[in-house]
Amino acid sequence: MFEQLKEILVNKLKVDPEQITLEATREDIELDSLAVVELSLVLENELGVAVSDDALLEAETVGDMLALIEQGSARV
Amino acid sequence: MTGTDIAVTGLGLVTPAGIGTAASWAGVRAGRPAAAADPALDGQLVTISCRVPGWDADALLGARRAHRLDRFTQFALVAAAEALADAGLDPATWDGARVGVVLGCADGGPGTVEQQHRVLVEHSPRHVSPLLLPMQLPNMLAGQTAMEFGATGPNLVVATACASGTTAIGTARDLLLLDRCDLVLTGGSEAMITPLVMAGFARMGTLSSRTDDPAAASRPFETDRDGFVAGEGAGVLVLERAADARARGARIRARVAGYGASADAHHLTSPHPEGAGLEAAVRAALADAGCRPSDVGHVNAHGTATRLNDLTEAKVVRRVLGDPLVASTKGVTGHLLGAAGAIEAAFTVLGLEEQVVPPTANLDVPDPDCGLKLTTTVTTARYDLALSNSLGFGGQNAVLALARA
Repeated sequence: MFEQLKEILVNKLKVDPEQITLEATREDIELDSLAVVELSLVLENELGVAVSDDALLEAETVGDMLALIEQGSARV
Repeated sequence: MTGTDIAVTGLGLVTPAGIGTAASWAGVRAGRPAAAADPALDGQLVTISCRVPGWDADALLGARRAHRLDRFTQFALVAAAEALADAGLDPATWDGARVGVVLGCADGGPGTVEQQHRVLVEHSPRHVSPLLLPMQLPNMLAGQTAMEFGATGPNLVVATACASGTTAIGTARDLLLLDRCDLVLTGGSEAMITPLVMAGFARMGTLSSRTDDPAAASRPFETDRDGFVAGEGAGVLVLERAADARARGARIRARVAGYGASADAHHLTSPHPEGAGLEAAVRAALADAGCRPSDVGHVNAHGTATRLNDLTEAKVVRRVLGDPLVASTKGVTGHLLGAAGAIEAAFTVLGLEEQVVPPTANLDVPDPDCGLKLTTTVTTARYDLALSNSLGFGGQNAVLALARA
């Protein structure tokens, strides 16, 4: 799932792949609130995973986002 | 007459004639029409346009930044970076609070609006991008430029339709004369070649329908002209008080000697039949510059190649100015709408510098009813003062008087 998230961050949100690690914070990968809302939309479109904007905005790191996505996909 | 000289110290262009000032000016000097069939307009009423050739925003701006910018803002950032480099300015070292940004556009980011409207209709409101508004709002042109270069002085976007670029430069000059700031990045940008906008223009009857011969479609002041060809791109100029420019050892490329603006208060889209509004703007620009009509050696005309614009503008030029050398660079670039005045001001600066008048492309049989002294090849001329005219739908007129440095 990490690879899928990374692929979305790189291909859809144009994040530098070098920056994407589990420990990287939202600031590290320059994801402002608009980009997080965009990510939530792409996750639903691409992976069929529903993670609310609000929950995703609470995530501090890529690892935190991944945990939310894994919870979301478990519910699907 | 204001007593304070305003200098143009930097130029940046992204036009259908090329990316960069050198490429754009070379295309204009050569009279090489940029209009071509546009695959993105397949199935539309008019299928030709003047695109920026080889535009690659990811390569020029980086994919991360380009992704969050509508095309009209992308053009402006590239043009602004060139203008700053040309002016020998380094945003890392300037006092950003004294740097203003005044840009013009007619429509903001209709490409983004149309794309997201499809998402809304085909999917749901929840699928609409959170970047819709930050990408398409017209003011983002100036806001993004401020962010890019750390320009925290006065910051605004003006809208006078196809006069926007000229209005922006005139307004920027006013800010400098009022000492609101020391430097202004000014000009205009436009990316309106979208299916909905082009359908609207076509339904108004303003576009050339010469789709079988795109290169010949933009024919300013020509007998068989039948409308404009839509173009896209940006022009950015760096303005500063001439005394400041001299103090920092900058190259002064030309001076913005005067500015005049008016409204026809006549009709939605047609100019006043006698050009009363344009005449008022021309006279105001001359008075502001402290010059006489006979001082004008060259006019970069609005010259859109619509029947009415060219006829009305020609009447005013003849009535007020007599017989100056006139050119419409739209024969090459097409009509860049809110960016037109900005790129044409830059071409006028280049003409003054080189003491040439560029050609009007496609001028096979000049319209005798226009009766202007037009050039068909780049022509050497001695002149110290030139005007750049712009007219917008809504009846807005704006005229810059540009003087040799």
